[in-house]
Amino acid sequence: MDLMMIADLAAATVRISTPLLFAALGGLLSEKAGTFAVGIEGMMLAGAFTGAISAFVFGNVALGFALAALGGAATGSLLAFATARCRADQMVTGLAVNVLVLGLSSFLLRGLFGGRAPVIRLTPPGTWPLPWLSEIPVMGPVLFRQSAIVYLAFLLVVPLTLFLTKTRAGLTLRAVGENPEAAFAAGYDPIRIRMIAIVAGGALAGLGGAVLALQEVGSFTDGMTNGRGFIALAAIMVGRWTPVGAIAGCLIFGFVSALELRAQSWGLPVSSYVMQMMPYCLALALLAGVSRSARLPAAIGVPFIRH
Amino acid sequence: MSVLTKDSPTSRSRAAFVGLFGLCAAIFAGPAGAAEKAAFLLPGSINDQSWNAQGYQGAEKLKAVGWDVAYTENVQVADMVEALRDYARKDYKVVVGHTGRFLSAMERIGPDFPKTLFIVGSGSAGAGTNVTSIDYDNTQFGFMMGVLAARMSRTGKIGSVNSLEGLPNVVAQVGGFRKGAKSVRPDIEVKVIYIKSMEDAAEAKEAALSLIAGGADFISGKLNAGQTGIIQAAKEKGVYANGRSFGHSEIAPDAVLTNIVEKWSDMYSQTAQEQAKSGGVGGKYVLYGLNTPGSTGAELAYNATQPLNPAVPASVANELDALKGKFKDGSLKIAVNREDAHGGI
Repeated sequence: MDLMMIADLAAATVRISTPLLFAALGGLLSEKAGTFAVGIEGMMLAGAFTGAISAFVFGNVALGFALAALGGAATGSLLAFATARCRADQMVTGLAVNVLVLGLSSFLLRGLFGGRAPVIRLTPPGTWPLPWLSEIPVMGPVLFRQSAIVYLAFLLVVPLTLFLTKTRAGLTLRAVGENPEAAFAAGYDPIRIRMIAIVAGGALAGLGGAVLALQEVGSFTDGMTNGRGFIALAAIMVGRWTPVGAIAGCLIFGFVSALELRAQSWGLPVSSYVMQMMPYCLALALLAGVSRSARLPAAIGVPFIRH
Repeated sequence: MSVLTKDSPTSRSRAAFVGLFGLCAAIFAGPAGAAEKAAFLLPGSINDQSWNAQGYQGAEKLKAVGWDVAYTENVQVADMVEALRDYARKDYKVVVGHTGRFLSAMERIGPDFPKTLFIVGSGSAGAGTNVTSIDYDNTQFGFMMGVLAARMSRTGKIGSVNSLEGLPNVVAQVGGFRKGAKSVRPDIEVKVIYIKSMEDAAEAKEAALSLIAGGADFISGKLNAGQTGIIQAAKEKGVYANGRSFGHSEIAPDAVLTNIVEKWSDMYSQTAQEQAKSGGVGGKYVLYGLNTPGSTGAELAYNATQPLNPAVPASVANELDALKGKFKDGSLKIAVNREDAHGGI
């Protein structure tokens, strides 16, 4: 394997990880505040849908990204209302939202345009080469000639980590996920905080979906997230509920997905179906290893009831 | 469920008039029977501008030649048996299921309705006396695409992104592609990648990008919604690709050299009319290609008027025409096996 192949593999890893990373960071916010992020797939798909439709209708990709965050947040608010306010089961609600968005996006794609799905063609945004860094031989051009949204995904980790560890709001959010009764006794409203965390997480997941629709494919197709939300969910666990860990988790899955496609040409005596399983086998193996030492937010999955 | 022939709220007098007219027509027309009835079951919406829209064209075509046609959209796998049985009970002579997934449902209920011909679009086998699969000759079109790719490649490396390794029509097209390319440039490198889903455009794009990074400058493939991903990758990296509809040419007018446009309307109407006229179509696996009467099954088309992108030199266009001629008169026959369509190089 020569240097160019390694560079190509690294670039593909970054590309594949970017939508996962947005979704994982969004899910992390929700889980830190005590709500399982099972609906992440639906929020991503909602973002892909609203992003593609608005970029198509208004002819502006930047606006598409903004409205994708809004679409994800809207889906999140549905989840937030059901789980935090009405104390519905988090797993069942999350799965229900995933199915709802899958059907609703396909339906609206046709319904909004008079029964005929429009042909959506968008021009993906161009790249922003970073000065200095993009001139590093071999790795520079592949890693530092990305579109703005890719840098945003990776840079987001810094403020998010600071927020969760250094700010009062972030510590309160975590307290609600660990011990909502204590947070309540200290004068905070756990229900409201959980709702805000889910909605904000939805906005991030929506951006992740928009990366697929606006950056990668330049169109919207039915069910285009195709299970990536669940991979993001696994990345959160592999990363042990920290933003930096989530980056590592997403990069690992991105790397194995990129490797799987390239490994098919090595002439290994293995069926392509086995190759396609690689990222998922790895997810299972890592999760099995992590679960022994995993420490979930203590109050995750438990609805808060005001006494 | 939408049905073309559903009763419209006609007034009673109009119904009486139609009845009278029908009676007269029956008297004057002599012993000619009622119109033949055909039903179409589609897995998605007829407005999808792709697979389902193409299938529905078959219904339109039969209607145009006087058939009584009904259709049902969005038939899910779990509902296939009931939907098929429903039409068969109403004495539809031909019932079409527009995806290979109908095959097992039809195999199950075929024996219960021996007078009905069940047609599986893009199926892979006939069954019993009345279940027939039809498809276009993927091998021929894959072969021609391979020749085109080999002639247009500057790097001597070409690739193909597909899904469902081992599925008969995938084996036929991918194997044909590899054989076609090697037939004109034996030293060419043909790299094939299989991805998880026919519908995942982002994954298809990544697969295409990995082929391009390896030096490939023509990317082929047989995917549904995923085809867009191949074309997007080719467009961004400035290499060639093939599509499956005119819409694909419009996404990347410079990258797409041609499309394999499938002619389901011809294939369905041809098979149904053959059954009505002489019967004996049941239980077969029918392939329409350049050498079959009634329909060529598919065609290479860049847009409504041109078969190939203007970037393809005349010498290559002529070579493809000569190939078509050889397929047509039967002097060239290509057989492929699973090994020809293997993943990797």
